[in-house]
Amino acid sequence: MCLAIPAQIKSIEGAYGEAMYLGVVQRVNIELIESPSAGDYILIHAGFAIEKIDEDGYVELERIMRCLLEECDSYE
Amino acid sequence: MNEKLLIAKMVQEINGSVDKDIVIMEVCGTHTQSIAKYGIWDMLSPNIKLVSGPGCPVCVTDKKYIDMAVSLSQKEDVIIATFGDLMKVTGTISCLSEEKSTGKDIRIIYSPIHSIQLAKEFPNKKVVFLAVGFETTAPLIGKIIMMAREQNISNLFFLTSLKLMKPILIEILNDKSNCIDGIICPGHVATIKGSTYFSFITNDYNIKSVVSGFEPLDIISGIYLIMQQCKGNVYGHNRNLYKRCVKEKGNHIANKILEEVFDHKDGNWRGIGMISNSAMIINNEYEDFDAEKNFYFNDLPEIKEDKCICRDILLGKKIPVSCKLFGNQCTPQHPVGACMVSSEGTCGIYYRYRKEG
Repeated sequence: MCLAIPAQIKSIEGAYGEAMYLGVVQRVNIELIESPSAGDYILIHAGFAIEKIDEDGYVELERIMRCLLEECDSYE
Repeated sequence: MNEKLLIAKMVQEINGSVDKDIVIMEVCGTHTQSIAKYGIWDMLSPNIKLVSGPGCPVCVTDKKYIDMAVSLSQKEDVIIATFGDLMKVTGTISCLSEEKSTGKDIRIIYSPIHSIQLAKEFPNKKVVFLAVGFETTAPLIGKIIMMAREQNISNLFFLTSLKLMKPILIEILNDKSNCIDGIICPGHVATIKGSTYFSFITNDYNIKSVVSGFEPLDIISGIYLIMQQCKGNVYGHNRNLYKRCVKEKGNHIANKILEEVFDHKDGNWRGIGMISNSAMIINNEYEDFDAEKNFYFNDLPEIKEDKCICRDILLGKKIPVSCKLFGNQCTPQHPVGACMVSSEGTCGIYYRYRKEG
């Protein structure tokens, strides 16, 4: 229930941003984080950005997910 | 160092350092799922007991709440909007999934934002969002309520079952029969409330605690640090191992929203009972959006308790395979208790990953 995924804001329009993770783009509300900008890395929960995360943390999470996805593909 | 090698090294040190039974509890359904999914149970010495506490908000949503949601769904001018994992949670007589199959207007939405869209799209209907969650989700609900006020939306309501982690943890830690050595604290609750939200675990109860993320390395690191604290190799205070997402004081915007919109009162946790000051309810300032204050619920059935052992499972005292209903009368397709319904419920996770125990 408290699942949250990392993403990067690609563009902002008002209270919403287009955020991308592993090629998937999602529209999220960005009013719960301070001074959001395009390029920021964020944590998304149920359609809201709930925190900014640092680039190193995002890169690490993406790397782990890609490894896991490759492992899954290798079983198919 | 390669992550797999790092995990292997820490697991080796964890298992090598165990000289008695150690009980480590996590209180987040996402942690339970990660532990099962990544095979962490099987990596560790049998002396290390990983137990799951009441970390799944769907699992602790009581029957009366579901009965109220079912009651609302009977009204022709009502649209129920809900997260998907609430659909099969059983009430006294029915569940939302059954009601939807008979034609009631019940819609699964991904985000509470969509409840505003529904209210605008159907101005002649009353949209009721089933607001279930912990501290991670509550600020989003609060924000939507504030947005609805700003936009003068008068046909949107919220039936809340929002709960706080700290009071239930206090309840568990006050029970000396639990014998817990360490607690892995929920990373995304801490994202909102801050890492210091869980300091009381060590400060008041002298129990080791870490705030952890959800990847295998995060969880193994948390267990490793708890073990080091138990051995006295590392000073034992609450540690934040999820610094990439968790600040010491949390998200101040989200916490302001919680203060603006919600009061606290005693809350009923399914299978456990009433826990003091553990529920977040919509305050008087925003009562126009509170479904409990704006609808009549005079046709609710008499509550009958489940025959399963959800209480003992939610409090980490027993594992699902101990329940005589597990896997036969209670399955994900035909759940009896709420713990079997959610993808983050302990019974559902055991059913998928560890049927034999």
